Amino acid sequence: MIVEHLDLLMFAAVCFVLLSGYQVAFALAGTAIAFALIGYYFDIFYLSDLLFLPQRIFGTMSNETLIAVPLFVFMGVMLEKSKVAEDLLETMGALFGSLRGGLGISVIIVGALLAASTGIVGATVVTMGLLSLPTMLKRNYKPEIAAGTIVASGTLGQIIPPSIVLILLGDVLSSEYQNVQFQVSNYSPLSVGDLFAGALIPGLMLVGLYIAYLIGVAIFQPDAMPAIPAEERDTDMKTLIARIFRVLIPPVVLIIAVLGSIITGVATATEAAAVGAVGATLLAGFRLRRHRRESVPSALLTGAIPIAGAGFAMAGLFWLAANFDLRITRDEIGSADQQAINIALLLCGIIAWGTLAALWRVWRAKVLTETARQTTQITAMVFLILIGAAVFSLVFRGLGGDETVANMLHAMPGGVTGALVAVMVTMFLLGFFLDFIEITFVVVPIVAPILLIMGVDPIWLGVMMAINLQTSFLTPPFGFALFYLRGVAPPELTTGAIYRGAIPFVMLQLLGLTLVATLPWLATHLPYALR
Amino acid sequence: MPAQIWYPILIVTATLSLPVLALALLGSKAARFEAMVRRQSTVIAWFSTTVGVTVAWIVVAIVLVQFTVVVMRYVFGVNFIALQETVLYGHALIFMLASAHTLVQGGHVRVDIVYANLGPRGKAWVDLLGTVFFLIPLMLLILNTSWDYVAISWRNLETSRESSGLQWVYLLKSVILIFAAMMLLQGIGLAGRASLVLARLDDAEEAS
Repeated sequence: MIVEHLDLLMFAAVCFVLLSGYQVAFALAGTAIAFALIGYYFDIFYLSDLLFLPQRIFGTMSNETLIAVPLFVFMGVMLEKSKVAEDLLETMGALFGSLRGGLGISVIIVGALLAASTGIVGATVVTMGLLSLPTMLKRNYKPEIAAGTIVASGTLGQIIPPSIVLILLGDVLSSEYQNVQFQVSNYSPLSVGDLFAGALIPGLMLVGLYIAYLIGVAIFQPDAMPAIPAEERDTDMKTLIARIFRVLIPPVVLIIAVLGSIITGVATATEAAAVGAVGATLLAGFRLRRHRRESVPSALLTGAIPIAGAGFAMAGLFWLAANFDLRITRDEIGSADQQAINIALLLCGIIAWGTLAALWRVWRAKVLTETARQTTQITAMVFLILIGAAVFSLVFRGLGGDETVANMLHAMPGGVTGALVAVMVTMFLLGFFLDFIEITFVVVPIVAPILLIMGVDPIWLGVMMAINLQTSFLTPPFGFALFYLRGVAPPELTTGAIYRGAIPFVMLQLLGLTLVATLPWLATHLPYALR
Repeated sequence: MPAQIWYPILIVTATLSLPVLALALLGSKAARFEAMVRRQSTVIAWFSTTVGVTVAWIVVAIVLVQFTVVVMRYVFGVNFIALQETVLYGHALIFMLASAHTLVQGGHVRVDIVYANLGPRGKAWVDLLGTVFFLIPLMLLILNTSWDYVAISWRNLETSRESSGLQWVYLLKSVILIFAAMMLLQGIGLAGRASLVLARLDDAEEAS
């Protein structure tokens, strides 16, 4: 009887409906509502199941982990809009440009560091494409290499922490893991930081593979990626070093500090993201200062000095906090500690001043308004999909979908491995038309509990899913990172060239995925060692 | 949801939607609705945009407040639960109240494979049908199921689980209803734009 397969029909229907192009969040929920009514008509769905919806929505509103999303988006958008990211790429290019393939390597490193801001593959690839494609083509890079490098590093940034999708995936996996805690052995709570730590080594490994590939190409096909000719490298060594200190080191330090505090478990993702967002504002304010010559009083009041001072004060504050007991609510405070507290308060004052100065500058340059609005839109987009997916999964479970999927996975030949392969292949195919966020909210809650009960490690599973999806986004002819690059590429760059450029990177991805699959410690060693 | 609230909501939704549908389906034969639909869509979009642009500043506020919380906690060992909950409230307000504006801006993700290649009329059809069959029913469902949920919270004047937290959980929960109402209205506005395109009264540039 067809009615018994209503759950699977709903899944097929939603794929079809999504292809129409209506907004994903509402298409998911709307299709689910239609199937809820059909199920109700055939007496296999209780409408009262839908009464859980307000609770699910409020659960989203009061989820503390997810506060990291707007904060990280703010950080990324701020770095992009204030052109800190662009400076970073240029400086890297100047640094490595004298080498064959140096520019390509710079694109990979910058992509890995900064591309993670939004969690939307399309937006990232578009940004990276606009930023670096013209430069690479101007430097006579072979179009295939340029295109492949951009789509690969744009998507890789998605899975290198700190990234939005890892936060979302970590949150979903952690709550599913908690739900099945009595059915697994050795349960311990999973945090977003664990997934960040797990993704770090595989992510860096992929960066390494990409760079090794580019170096190989540079050696065997020197014409494919020429060095920037010496006469065009107008900068002398002294200005280059100054530039490195001014534009390269500060954002890298910021990202490492943010990432380090999450991975080592010192701070939660939300707390580190707030520091990252303020740090990004300081960097942006510092960068935007250079538009015109400043008078001395204005530089002292709202210019470079307080902004840079705030950066150093932040570092000083962390040093003090690490070396002295600064808790002010104690009864007895020693004199050394008391002095340290006084200095800390002074540093806080400097940070507040510098932050306000930076905000003022960023606001005057019209970057703050734009950043705030774009952050708001991306946040609304993410959470609406979460709400739409909540309706979908309520109905899917109400129709018995989770049992159906569990039975299907248990019936796979090869036990756990077979089930895992089936899930990975399905996600790979879904990745051709759904973005990371949708798959995380819709598919992961359905399949993760089953695999976790089978004994699959949650961190390993999350990392595998992330690499798998990233590969899917890159794979011709459907991978949609390729479509987005097509959208911003000049007509001379043919679609065929983009496809040919992506294929070697897909191979590298598959190699990376195989390595993580066969050597799970690549993903699990670091997080468990840090616990 | 009690009937005396549910039926007026349905009636208002229907009243606002009927001219939109008439315009879309009958085209120039329903031209007398044009001005009405156009005005309706403009007013709704203005409202959503005003709210959305205003709540965008909450983003800056939560960055600063969360940073303050971090410094107080990690440096001075002081935990301010109320301040942490302020961030939580702000965060919820951002996406609940700015969703309608995001809808105006077309900021919600679509699967672009087919949609990007459709002409203006094709896009308008997708937008109209999607809004009528997906968006509006979803928001009606949220309104219907959330009413009692919020009402119970108001009856108990529900407070935070933490004694020193913010005590306005019932107000935060009410935001669900505001969200659904704003999205419902904006959905009708969006359908109105689409129907103007379908009735060939509006050029695609303006609608997209």
